[in-house]
Amino acid sequence: MPPVGYAVDWTAIVLAFGVGVAALGAMLAVAKLLAPRRPSAAKAIPYESGIVPTPLNWTQFNIRYYVFAILFLIFDVEAVFLFPWALIFLETASYVFYAMMLFIAVLLFGVAYAWRKGVLEWR
Amino acid sequence: MRVDFSLLLPEMLLAGLGFLVLIVDLVLPQERPERRNKAVAAVAVAGMAAVAAMALATAPDRTESVYGGLLFIDAYALLFKTLFLGVGIAVVLMSVEYVGRVIRHPGEFYGLIVFAVLGANLMASAGELLTAYIALELLSFCLFVLVGLTRGDRRSAEASTKYILLGAISSAVLLYGISLLYGTMGTTVFREMGPGLAINFSPTVIVGFAMLLAGIGFKLALVPFHLWAPDVYEGAPTPITALVAVLSKAATFALLLRFLAEVSTGRFDQWQLALAVLAAATMTVGTLTALVQRNIKRLLAYSSIAQVGFVMVGVVAMTEAGANAVLLHLVGYAFTNLAAFAVVVTVEAKTRKEEIADYAGLSTASPLMAMVLTAAMFSLAGLPIFAGFITKFYLFTAAADAGYLWLAALAITNSVISLYYYLRVVREMYISEPEVEPERIRLSPSSAGALWVLLAGTIAVGVYPGPLAAAVDAATDALRAYAGGA
Repeated sequence: MPPVGYAVDWTAIVLAFGVGVAALGAMLAVAKLLAPRRPSAAKAIPYESGIVPTPLNWTQFNIRYYVFAILFLIFDVEAVFLFPWALIFLETASYVFYAMMLFIAVLLFGVAYAWRKGVLEWR
Repeated sequence: MRVDFSLLLPEMLLAGLGFLVLIVDLVLPQERPERRNKAVAAVAVAGMAAVAAMALATAPDRTESVYGGLLFIDAYALLFKTLFLGVGIAVVLMSVEYVGRVIRHPGEFYGLIVFAVLGANLMASAGELLTAYIALELLSFCLFVLVGLTRGDRRSAEASTKYILLGAISSAVLLYGISLLYGTMGTTVFREMGPGLAINFSPTVIVGFAMLLAGIGFKLALVPFHLWAPDVYEGAPTPITALVAVLSKAATFALLLRFLAEVSTGRFDQWQLALAVLAAATMTVGTLTALVQRNIKRLLAYSSIAQVGFVMVGVVAMTEAGANAVLLHLVGYAFTNLAAFAVVVTVEAKTRKEEIADYAGLSTASPLMAMVLTAAMFSLAGLPIFAGFITKFYLFTAAADAGYLWLAALAITNSVISLYYYLRVVREMYISEPEVEPERIRLSPSSAGALWVLLAGTIAVGVYPGPLAAAVDAATDALRAYAGGA
């Protein structure tokens, strides 16, 4: 016998999707109807954190950015592991807590290493 | 489930040592790189020696396993651990001068070597596919970075990029194979896979097993998965070439041999034939391509491909004699190849030269190095009194006894052909006239010591293999297929 709940579960997701599309469409439509419109060249530029955007995506960029990209990635991944751990570590065995402490210590060591080696200075 | 952590103490200490090496590099004054380099190397060598002594002292009398069979702590793992730690020590000793002149990042260099040795040790212990995979990746990641550590050298960067890309693809193939096997058998533990592999010949199992072999074949540089090897060997910092040639090959063989020994309880003929074809292709292509090399590192790359083919001959036999011969050959090969690389590293650190023609006149520039390299070439070619002769003899005998006479004959033919290119290096050193008067090369105590020890090992394995053979016998007895054998 196929699982009965299958179709029911999908109904909820399809409904949520429909509501989402409808809500977004409604908001855009209301903005289009009500908002004042005074276009200018500056407003048409894509937003890149306040920097003037470069014309092509093939332009060269400074290799020194890669260190920051890697450090960012490390802490991003750390956060991915920290969130589920934060939800459950009180209820699980104590070694779960210490395992995460060890993980964080290893990452902190990496930052200390990069710092001491002068990687964080922009030369 | 209780886990006896004391069994894992050597591995934990080795992980600690990796961090200790990095910390020592951090806290020492950064202004005096030469002293820092020597101090960090000393910590790495002393630490690895201490871990090896501890692993030998605390080894359990019988086979123990932790985490329900994920890792085995047995005589087999112990033999390889000792070997790998020895390889790590030898590589650090031979590279002190090289690191001071070429690399200039001692902490990263030695620390990553320690972590690579840790990965290799875990590969020798692994009794389950995913554990083996993680250990393999630990080793591979360290090697990826180490290969690219000569900053500013185009060849090094190219080698590292190629190694990472192809390594990632091979890891993907390996993982896909593991997932297919797990999908059909519901387990990744070697011992539990045996019955399934023996009776189940569905396409899924065949494809899964073939992908597993391809992934492992890449790490071993088996033909046709060998194309990365020459470029990586040539571009990598030379001590790291030695590490790739010895540590990663031996560790992958440790894993492959344990896997095959644990799963092959029933019919395995089909796979044996596949392995035999791979072995035949690998040694033939390696030998024939080595004939035309001019660069000593590329020559050693193709020579190591040929040597991997010879070791596969022993793996194909799938008998205890074959397994013994494989282990014996790996130990002898480690001594021999490290001796050869120790000379190449020192010559490069002193003269920055790595063409075979540059070795003309080495016999007057440094008689010791010329002698060691000659011994290593003789041993690789398989001439008597050196390690290579006796271990190759055991390998080919094991294959012939198991019914693979054609493979043994092909191996002997290749061995004879290989004599040509190994002896060419010797001729260059002793007979060719150098273009300029060779300058006398002075060796540092650490390089000279490493050279003498490796030379002694190369000869000792060849002349008096008794104690090593006994240790090897005990090691293979720990594997299930050969337990209680002769």
